[in-house]
Amino acid sequence: MAKVTIDGREIELPDGVRINAIEVAKRMGVEIPHYCYHPGLPIVGSCRMCLVEAGNRDAKTGEIRMQPKLVPGCTIPATDGLVLVTTGEKVQQARAMVEEGLLVRHPIDCPICDKAGECSLQDYHFKYGQSARRTDVMPFTSRKRDLGDVTLFIDRCVMCSRCVRFCSEVSGTAELMVANRAAHEEIDVVPGFPLHNELSGNVVDLCPVGALSDKDFSYQQRVWFMRQHTGVCTGCAQGCSIHIEENQDRVYRLKPRENQFVNKWWICNEGRYGYHHIHDAKRLAAPQYRNGGKTTDLDWTGLPEKLTKKLSDAGRLGALFSPFLSVEEAYLLAKLIKGIDPQAILAMGPVPTVGEDKKFPGGFVIAAEKAPNRRGVEEILGYFMHKLLTFDDFLNQMQRTELQGVWVSGGYKGPWIDAATARKFDAIPLLIVQDLFPSPLSEIATYTLPGASFAERDASYMNRYDRLQTSRLAVRPPWGVRAEAGLLWQMSGRKGLYSYRAVLDDLCREVLYFAPAAGPLPDVGLDMKINKLAKSGALAAKMA
Amino acid sequence: MLPIALDALIKIAVVIGGLMTAAAYLVLAERWIAAWIQDREGPNRVGVPLTKIRLFGLGQPLADGVKFIFKAEYTPGHVDKGLYFLAPVMIFASALAVFAVIPFGGLLPGNIFPASWGVSEPINLVIAPRLDVGMIYVFAMGSIAIYGVVLGGWASNNKYSFLGGLRSSAQLIAYELPMGLGILGVVLSAGSLRLDTIMQQQAQTGAWNAFVQPLGMVVFCVAAFAEATRLPFDLPEAEQELIGGYHTEYFGIKLMMYLVGEYLHMITAAFLIVILFFGGWHFWGLTGSSDTVTWTQAILRIIVLNVKVLGMIFFFMVARWSWARFRYDQLMSLAWLVMLPMGMVNIAYVAVWQEYGEQLATQAGLPPQIAMAVCGWAVLVATWFVGASMAPPAGDNRPRRTPLEPSFPMNLEIPEGAGR
Amino acid sequence: MKNDNSKVQWVAPPKLGLLGKSYLMLFLHGLVTAMRHLLFHKSITLQSPDERHAIADPVHYRGVHRLNKDEQGRVKCVACFLCATACPAHCIDIVAEESPWPDREKYPKVFNIDELRCIFCGMCEQACPVEAIELTSFYDLTGASREEMIFDKEKLLSVFDQTKDREPMPSKRVISATTGVAAGGQA
Repeated sequence: MAKVTIDGREIELPDGVRINAIEVAKRMGVEIPHYCYHPGLPIVGSCRMCLVEAGNRDAKTGEIRMQPKLVPGCTIPATDGLVLVTTGEKVQQARAMVEEGLLVRHPIDCPICDKAGECSLQDYHFKYGQSARRTDVMPFTSRKRDLGDVTLFIDRCVMCSRCVRFCSEVSGTAELMVANRAAHEEIDVVPGFPLHNELSGNVVDLCPVGALSDKDFSYQQRVWFMRQHTGVCTGCAQGCSIHIEENQDRVYRLKPRENQFVNKWWICNEGRYGYHHIHDAKRLAAPQYRNGGKTTDLDWTGLPEKLTKKLSDAGRLGALFSPFLSVEEAYLLAKLIKGIDPQAILAMGPVPTVGEDKKFPGGFVIAAEKAPNRRGVEEILGYFMHKLLTFDDFLNQMQRTELQGVWVSGGYKGPWIDAATARKFDAIPLLIVQDLFPSPLSEIATYTLPGASFAERDASYMNRYDRLQTSRLAVRPPWGVRAEAGLLWQMSGRKGLYSYRAVLDDLCREVLYFAPAAGPLPDVGLDMKINKLAKSGALAAKMA
Repeated sequence: MLPIALDALIKIAVVIGGLMTAAAYLVLAERWIAAWIQDREGPNRVGVPLTKIRLFGLGQPLADGVKFIFKAEYTPGHVDKGLYFLAPVMIFASALAVFAVIPFGGLLPGNIFPASWGVSEPINLVIAPRLDVGMIYVFAMGSIAIYGVVLGGWASNNKYSFLGGLRSSAQLIAYELPMGLGILGVVLSAGSLRLDTIMQQQAQTGAWNAFVQPLGMVVFCVAAFAEATRLPFDLPEAEQELIGGYHTEYFGIKLMMYLVGEYLHMITAAFLIVILFFGGWHFWGLTGSSDTVTWTQAILRIIVLNVKVLGMIFFFMVARWSWARFRYDQLMSLAWLVMLPMGMVNIAYVAVWQEYGEQLATQAGLPPQIAMAVCGWAVLVATWFVGASMAPPAGDNRPRRTPLEPSFPMNLEIPEGAGR
Repeated sequence: MKNDNSKVQWVAPPKLGLLGKSYLMLFLHGLVTAMRHLLFHKSITLQSPDERHAIADPVHYRGVHRLNKDEQGRVKCVACFLCATACPAHCIDIVAEESPWPDREKYPKVFNIDELRCIFCGMCEQACPVEAIELTSFYDLTGASREEMIFDKEKLLSVFDQTKDREPMPSKRVISATTGVAAGGQA
């Protein structure tokens, strides 16, 4: 057990915790400003912003001996007897000097810098910097260089080298380097080898200032206008934790949310830029009814009740569950269809898979399976069907049993069914398709219902390692679109507005597998494998 | 005799035409007076369309009417449709119907028509002459107008409209009583409910009821102001706190019917005050007082009556900018605690005078009219000050949690008259 | 409400004498005041639009906005959104784009001001770091539709052309030493 004293207050660290002074201070609620230090990257101690007074308390005599010079906090390991002073005049002076030094050749073009508002240089200057400027370098426009995936504003850079370390340690591609020396230091790439890898977007988040600019986000929106919502990436089966940032019902960017159990601090470019389909003009915009060759646009008023009635009158029912459905929606849909026809056939929709899993040196993984909730839907289908049917099984059964009504849930981000497969559904008298985009199947459906994207609903997903996470509504669906969850909620005859928590509670009560999800889910999600442990424990107890 | 239907139709045409024009231009006059009292200009723009000729804004009523009529006709979705349409019609129709018994002049000589028509008797300038229940009819119609207000507030399905309707129904019903009591004295002395008989009686004695029954006049005037919902009693509309009250949800032609209906009420009130208390068409030495008239007298009587009415309306308009609106509790306590007792005192006084006073005055050799006037003013002053010292119309309306809890600390001196 | 709270100051209405309670004096006072104004009224109305308001200092007046141009006739705005941030009425809508000029990073592709929403507080003018947006002395703006009252970039720039001589930009202003009022013209 290590006892650390910071600014006169003591904290005890458990054995085996190996962190540095910045992290210890953070646990005590004391901020030690820093640029180059990042918990996910190797420590270089180059920015000098985290300078603190450090010393040691002699374990036997209790005497404190301070080091004569200031020490960078990021390089001090938290050992027993460590004493830190972070508020002294010496420290404050050092911080002000570092700030002044960084700002000497900084363009101070904050009004047109996309980082303004979430910029460490800006924040620290207000907190620790000097109010007056002693140099005569007036604000100017920064030089700019295209690095490949991102744009570099050379003069805004504070040379923390986080981006360089990220490329060498986490993505393992090592495109970025520090060119030149001293005041002429610049981030650069070797000509002909631009920054281009599947994690390159993270360097923009890592950059504490506005030097690295995301080409997708640049000039789009000022950060203080945007609101941050807790989300889960639906790009692949990893289920990375993200922040969805929106303003006035328009998503402007996705950012990684720290989750040590899933994605650490990173997300891949595919997930980061995988939100453009939300605002795609090609999305289905209104419910449609097809009779023969005639298509009519419908109004939502009274439609859910009508659909329930049509399903009740249809006869044998079947339903395809997309792996893009949340566990709440899958549960509501299964319960609805099984409630109408207990013999109904429920099956898993196609699970898109692209290539192989990609593993990066930093431990980050991009899954080949490009759907967020295969596991969740599987568990629910397993409960209702006792046997998991795949898409192909469903097609076979469909022809054999002559289904009268089929509900197909889509929600895929791209094309997912070809015309030949879609033709197999031709014979179904009542085909209801809820999807994001028009597909060969939605073209022949009796009812085509527009569905909501991942940012437009409260939804819980279970990733391929059985971690259940909830993604919260960030933007409202476009006019004419109703989220699957709300629609199914109303079709099930539930009163009031859709509440994911209420559905999840019912699910926990009914399906044993989801029992651990009773009670609030932590932001980092809940590992449902705990259930398997309990099961084997019970088994072991029985055998004993 | 002129066929009675034709006679009535001609008079109805004259009255409705005159009233509508009068209502339109009285709006203009009111806006001018309001503007001048507030050191503004008032409407001065609308003249001949498409030209720069402005005519001091005399085209304003026409423009207002056109605007009201051509406004998009739209029914709010939340209203009670039937009542919503019925309410303005009711207030408008009842306001017009009152004029069936209100004389707009004295008599016309019968020789206006060729002898072959056989009309010889003088023509009474009232749509329904010789209606013996005249005053009661006026009251009946006036009470129906309350329905217009209440139904409008109810049908609008809007809480402010509803509050406005409720408040105004309470107010209008409360002031019906002093109004009736104010009239009773007049009816007692004239011995008839017919308005032309009441005028005739004042003309013959030469003593207008305002002089001999000042208390009745005060009570009736105050009640008439309240019944016409004019300031300082315009709580039904109360623009500031009820955003227009019962007619918040009305616009276009329906709102116009409400507004014109209110103006007609004011004109009715002015007519009634003049007829009951200011001698109607009578003016000393000008109009004569007999049952038979010459042409000059007939025209003079029409002019005198209408000048008096216009003067009364002018007083209505000036009063609007003279006093602040009463608080609702003040309004109610004024009706029930001040005006009602004062009206009763007036009846008692008139009754006593009729029974004993006239004889006593004759025995004492005093002219009865002057004696009655002196007595009447003495009663007014006495009642007024007794009422003031007993029940000032200001109440204590500070919030209190329970009805029993005193609304101010017991260790403070209770303001005199408060907490009554 | 506790009556023994010493912090509550109870105010009693003023005591009225018999004359005051009788309402007579108020009655007369109100009537006399109204009649005095009616008979001897002096109108203070300004007959707009026949007569115009005299604006003391057009530079300080807060009327319709304009977007200033630099020496080369380009829009001065750098699309920093600070005016939109400062705006309490949320009437400014900007879409930024990379500028085609080498000396500038960003410029507004779209710059809309909803003049109907605007409350003419002038905070956008104060927030602007490059004196690009200013309020002019135009005050009687009218339009036949809501869309017409959403002023776009071209319209705001044309307001600048109309007013640049009368109301110079702050950096071109000469403050009169004697009156303290800004006057037009080059320094």
